[in-house]
Amino acid sequence: MSLRTAIRKLWHSIAPRTHSDVEEEFRSTLNAYQEDLIRRGLPEEEARRKARIDLGRPATQNETYRDTIGLRVFDELGGDIRYGLRGLRRNPGFAAVAVLSLALGIGATTAMFSLIYAVLLHPFPYAGADRIMNPVVIDPQHPGERSWFPLSKAQFDDLRLAAPVDSALGFNNSDMEITGGALPEDISGIYVTENAGTFFGVRPLLGRNLEPSDAENGGHFVVVLNYRFWQRHFGGDPHVIGRMLEINHAPYTIVGVMPRSFAFNDSTGVGDVYVPNSLMPSFNLPFVASIPWIKLRPDVTLAAANAALEPIVRQFAQQHPDRFPDHWHLALEPIIVPYQQGTGRTLTLLLAGVVLLLIIGCANCSILLLARGRTRQHELAIRSAIGASRWRIVRQLLVEAVVLSSTGAVLGVAASYWLAKLPLLLSPHSFPAESVIRINAPILAFSIALALLCGILFGLAPALRLSRRDQARMLPGKQIGAAPAKHRWSVLIAAQVALTLLLLATAGTAIRSFLGLMQMPLGYDPANVIKLGLLLHFHDPGEWSRIQSREARTAYIEQIREKIASVAGISTAAVSSDAFGTDATPPYTGAESSFNMDGIRDREPLARVMLVDQRYFAALRIPLLQGRLWNTDENTRGDFIAVVNHAFATRYLSSSNAVGRQLRIPGLAHQNHWAVTSAQSTAWRQIIGVAGDARNDGVDRPVVPAIYLPYTAVIPSNVQFFVRTQGDPLTYLHSMRAAIASVASDQQISNSTFNGTFTLNEAIERDAQYSRQRFFSVLFGVWAAMGLALALVGVFSVVAYSVAQRTTEFGVRLALGAPRAHVLWVAARIALVSTAAGIVIGLAFDSFLGAVLAHWMQSAFAAGSLFAAAALLALSALLACLLPARHAIAVPPAEALRYE
Amino acid sequence: MTKPVELPQGTLEMLILKAISLGPLHGYGILLRIQQISGERLEILQGSFYTAIYRLERQGWIKGEWGESENNRRARFYSLTAAGTRQLKAETAKWTDMAAVVAGILGKKAI
Repeated sequence: MSLRTAIRKLWHSIAPRTHSDVEEEFRSTLNAYQEDLIRRGLPEEEARRKARIDLGRPATQNETYRDTIGLRVFDELGGDIRYGLRGLRRNPGFAAVAVLSLALGIGATTAMFSLIYAVLLHPFPYAGADRIMNPVVIDPQHPGERSWFPLSKAQFDDLRLAAPVDSALGFNNSDMEITGGALPEDISGIYVTENAGTFFGVRPLLGRNLEPSDAENGGHFVVVLNYRFWQRHFGGDPHVIGRMLEINHAPYTIVGVMPRSFAFNDSTGVGDVYVPNSLMPSFNLPFVASIPWIKLRPDVTLAAANAALEPIVRQFAQQHPDRFPDHWHLALEPIIVPYQQGTGRTLTLLLAGVVLLLIIGCANCSILLLARGRTRQHELAIRSAIGASRWRIVRQLLVEAVVLSSTGAVLGVAASYWLAKLPLLLSPHSFPAESVIRINAPILAFSIALALLCGILFGLAPALRLSRRDQARMLPGKQIGAAPAKHRWSVLIAAQVALTLLLLATAGTAIRSFLGLMQMPLGYDPANVIKLGLLLHFHDPGEWSRIQSREARTAYIEQIREKIASVAGISTAAVSSDAFGTDATPPYTGAESSFNMDGIRDREPLARVMLVDQRYFAALRIPLLQGRLWNTDENTRGDFIAVVNHAFATRYLSSSNAVGRQLRIPGLAHQNHWAVTSAQSTAWRQIIGVAGDARNDGVDRPVVPAIYLPYTAVIPSNVQFFVRTQGDPLTYLHSMRAAIASVASDQQISNSTFNGTFTLNEAIERDAQYSRQRFFSVLFGVWAAMGLALALVGVFSVVAYSVAQRTTEFGVRLALGAPRAHVLWVAARIALVSTAAGIVIGLAFDSFLGAVLAHWMQSAFAAGSLFAAAALLALSALLACLLPARHAIAVPPAEALRYE
Repeated sequence: MTKPVELPQGTLEMLILKAISLGPLHGYGILLRIQQISGERLEILQGSFYTAIYRLERQGWIKGEWGESENNRRARFYSLTAAGTRQLKAETAKWTDMAAVVAGILGKKAI
């Protein structure tokens, strides 16, 4: 009963009777009463009057009605909103500054929130993405390094059926070729287990995903396309489903296209095409099957799952001890972890930065409202005098503030649409490829809440201040002297200035450390060097047989190299090949491998192994410090020699001369099916030279020990050419393609993710740390500039308002003979003093925060950038004070007095 | 001539319910009916009348429909809803009980 009543009441308030309906009814009653009165003998005019006195006026009837059914509050709010909007229209300058201040703050905050939402809270499009784990083994000796362990089919099934596992996906990246056209095109394919559709739970854009039935009869020849590949290769053709695509000389039916947000996967390489795992050729490979991703059951904790799976993986290690380190433990790693480690901290700092910006924007609005409020005292006094309660006035002022902040929020959200894309443009490689940054429901809710909060935050202080009862005393006349309670402005300005200083100092520090990173010696010269990736035709049995032997393959590669080197304008062309899937492209080079060497303390010494030719050092301008490089004959032979870098020599051979020492790399034997190795690739090698340290672990990390070997020791199907050109290397692409085609007409330059073609400068820009620091300093720089602009606008408007209001006072002062400098000082005093206080507070605060931030930013606040920021702030604040204050002394006394 | 009676708080609604329980009435008709039943002793005009009507309508105890009045004017006729009928019954019972109790107490005092 009571619930039904409540619903009925609510419904009545939602769908009330119309104005005309209420009024018509009331009029009909009024008329009936009036006629009755006339019948009883009253004169018509008298009857009319009495009817109205007894029943009320029709005009107010709707108000009575809406009040009775509880809608009056909304009517009043509507009135306040309309009044607020009219106020904004009347003061366009004030409105523009206030709305823009907020739009900047809200826009930046919304953008950061959407970024954090997309990157940290919801980066993957997969169903139950937070339960998907990447099982890795961790060697306690090198806890920072995580390694994967490939599984055989039987092992994969063991893992899949383990108790805490809901489902498991096995995948394996593979270089593939699209054949059947005029020229083969190499693409990056991924064999995925046929449960992909249910495991990912991502609805395909077109057609279907892989299904368990695709595994029948040894696997159906079907393929699911990646969105970008579909765009690139098929021009986004919507009728592609059912068509044939020839991959590795076999016809596949296209059954589905994935949506843009699906870009499996970022860690081993995004696939262009996804094909059934059952079709994976079962070669006699040492590393056989799939990398697993496992999705835990919803009720299983990470620790419990780790404990349950560890014994199973221990069994695998017994079966294949060579795939595991000597000591290890299993760790299930949520797939988000690498990104959280990389970007989480930066994003948190950036969010803190935008919150500061938002607070500065709010303070600005408070200052503006307070300043403008003084001109409205008269109006508010009248309202108060005719009976408005304090609450009613506070509400009206708050509503006006919320109107301002909502307008700001609308603009801000629109701006955030572009702002949120900025980090992705600046630093595309530090975010998951699949995180799509867009404004969605949670983000909209966030902005609306933010707008309301801001409105109340910056509106409350002025509203409480302006609604004070003693304002009523101001009714009789305008006030002339100095205004009371200026300290509120001063506090707000000081706070604004202090926060701006914090933003400026952080930005300064970030920019400094980025500049430091840019000036860091790389040990090689990336300018004008391009890397060309080549994928040899291992899928074509006919052509592959011709370059099957190591000698034939070397000859083929050398032939191409010579042709490239002979192009006019190309000074050096060098060769490298992949060892363990990692090539020699700096700033990340070589695969970490263990080696043997007599007389060194380390039980398991590690070094980056790089397979290059002797010209590599010239192409990258890596200096030779000791000994010699190998010659052409030694390069062709591939065995018995090695060159190490300086870091290797100091790390392992600190006391003795490196040249002449012996080392061997047993791991070179474990190469994939397509690779050919030299006769004695794992035999002892003599160190013949020591090369300078070139960055090989990222631009900002120290160089790690490295061993350079002739590339002919191991030649897999991927080879690279490092070409130094005169001028922009990209302009040589065409002639280099022609040079390659003159050797083999169907040999293409690769454009796959890892083996692609790009300049070495581009490789640096792709470096996660580099691009992260760059976008951090750019964004913080932009925000510091915005914060500075806002603070200056705040200072400016305070002085400008107070000068405008005190025109009379200044006129009188000047008329009485006050020196102009003194008047200027009086006009700007409060703003100047509070700015100075803000700077002092900011400096104190920053030195305290410096220690905290140093931990987060991995670089301390430099005193230099702090004082530079303070000086910049002081100087521009002085300008912002003096510009409007000038008007104070420009007032002709006679005109000022006429204001009276 | 009988003296006018002042209405206690909240009883106007009950009287309106009672008035239209005998059949649909428009606003002025309700007024007349109440005055008629009370023997012209109630002063219920003064604007509070329509507030009571709106409140009853919002509670869902009465519902209004446009129709034609006795002198061919458009007027809004109110009738009781099922909930209204129940409410009137409950209110009447409550009122009778209370009146009896109060009358009892006052009567004893008088003795």
